Amino acid sequence: MERWADYKALGGKLVRVRLREEQGQIRSIRITGDFFLVPEESLGKLEKMLEDAPLREGELRLLVNRFFRGTGAQGLGVSSDDFVKAILSAKEV
Amino acid sequence: MNMAVEEAIPRAVGEGKSPSTIRFWHNSNTIVLGCFQSAKLEVNMDACKETGTEIVRRFTGGGAVYHDSGNLNYGISLRKDHPLVPGQNLQSVFEKLSEGSVQGLRKLGVKAEFQPVNDIQIDGKKVSGAAGSIRWNTVFHHGCILVNSDLSILEKVLNVPKAKLEDRHVASVQKRVTTVRDELGRDVSTREVRDAIVDGIQSCYGVGVESGVLTKEELGLAEELYQTKYSRLEWNLEP
Repeated sequence: MERWADYKALGGKLVRVRLREEQGQIRSIRITGDFFLVPEESLGKLEKMLEDAPLREGELRLLVNRFFRGTGAQGLGVSSDDFVKAILSAKEV
Repeated sequence: MNMAVEEAIPRAVGEGKSPSTIRFWHNSNTIVLGCFQSAKLEVNMDACKETGTEIVRRFTGGGAVYHDSGNLNYGISLRKDHPLVPGQNLQSVFEKLSEGSVQGLRKLGVKAEFQPVNDIQIDGKKVSGAAGSIRWNTVFHHGCILVNSDLSILEKVLNVPKAKLEDRHVASVQKRVTTVRDELGRDVSTREVRDAIVDGIQSCYGVGVESGVLTKEELGLAEELYQTKYSRLEWNLEP
């Protein structure tokens, strides 16, 4: 099942999520938008980490927090909480 | 090629092969996407074909901007240990390195103000957007200033998501952006704005600015980046 969301982050930026879900799990995900994330290449790592993750807030929050801690990535206009909320707000297309 | 030069300079500065640099430049009709943006979602492809607008992608985040000859672009590259670098926090970098442009615009007679996250506004309307990165041992900050751009084309070629406009309580791009020309109420050239910004930078930061041209190394690197990255559809139009 395809799901998507355009989520306006508290920092003012837009997080656009397109994902494929099967049996409550993310099979593939693409995150785009006008936010800042340094280093830029780290977004691909986040998407990779989210593959096969359950679409549940607790697990997603752990994963996204682990991504920021592990990579030392710096977001601007978007936070780890925004990424989680954007994913959870994705509706069936 | 402009996007390739934009990457070549901070790389050369970070390697100590080039001095701290501010570069001014123009594009003809072009949409410049942020590195995380989807071309399919952000761009009206039909309108781009009709208006002869190119689509390219930069290496920094942030939102899509429309460039034409009425738009003045600048890029500032400083080594990480340069005294003007306010730290490794991107928000502080945007604020600090926008000050020169803000001062320059004020010298021209408009009430420019930095507006977080990355805008310069005049009376609540955006006149410039900035983006940047911290990499290659360099702090890089670039921005585009709407001097006398054609805002009607801008609105056609960019699909601005409703969520962005609703947040600002305005119905169209044209109502939330402005140009230096419109704010001054007179014709103004990009050269005049460039000179004002150079003045702003010199007085604001207490530094001297000397004019120059791209070095052989910068040009070589830019050419390589153009061939391997910035001329390629997979870079410019994916995802």
